[in-house]
Amino acid sequence: MESPYLLPAWIGLGAVFGALSRYYLTLICARALGGYFPFGTFVVNLSGASLMGFLATYLPSVNPNLPLNHLIFVGFLGSYTTFSTYALETTNLLKQKTYGQALFYGVGGLVAGFLGVELGIALARQLSG
Amino acid sequence: MTMVKQPVRTMLAISLGAIAGALGRYYVGIALNGLLGTALPLSTLVINVTGCFGMGLLATLSVGRAISLHPDLRLLLLTGFLGSYTTFSTYELESSSLLAQDRLGAALYYWAGSALLGLIGLQLGIALAEWLLKQLEQN
Repeated sequence: MESPYLLPAWIGLGAVFGALSRYYLTLICARALGGYFPFGTFVVNLSGASLMGFLATYLPSVNPNLPLNHLIFVGFLGSYTTFSTYALETTNLLKQKTYGQALFYGVGGLVAGFLGVELGIALARQLSG
Repeated sequence: MTMVKQPVRTMLAISLGAIAGALGRYYVGIALNGLLGTALPLSTLVINVTGCFGMGLLATLSVGRAISLHPDLRLLLLTGFLGSYTTFSTYELESSSLLAQDRLGAALYYWAGSALLGLIGLQLGIALAEWLLKQLEQN
């Protein structure tokens, strides 16, 4: 790390790509599947968690101080997935008294994310032999 | 700003918020790890719960009549900043790591507790925003 500004720059770069991917993917999902259920955040969080499990297992040989790791894990995946929007959408489904959907989204999102991580880890182990 | 086209403004607003959010998460995380230790991933928990509080507060304030947030500012704060400050992928990876260390109780508390405290934080944010809006509308 030559410059102290290099690390925040890599994190920022990853964050820009992560947040913009989340925003546009959410728009595409709402347009394709309708806006009555928050499919977008569900897809984003599930794919992000799976990728996190995969890359965190597949890239262990990479030096943890490498800028690439900060770009991918802290910047991109950290910003691509979101916890606050997930909580807001769960609350909104509760407020609309669509309890079945709120339960499916609230609990299902957590379970799917967990399974995604495990699937990513399993796939990475398979690939690295 | 009206000279800049809308798609560019949207991208700029989200990007600026995301940079601040991700760097906030990174440096607050380091500070919290120093304070709370790393035996449990408490830094991510605190970040996610405070982010949920901010989301409840700002999302409720921005739809009130007393305060009008410009759509670009809303994207910067909610989609960019809070969306990137909080994280789902790290939270799920940390839950999985606790489970892999055979710390079943810690994994379950962290996994379910994060969601529960996040929802409570969000409700507190909404309640504060509703109280603030009521004060503003009375005056």
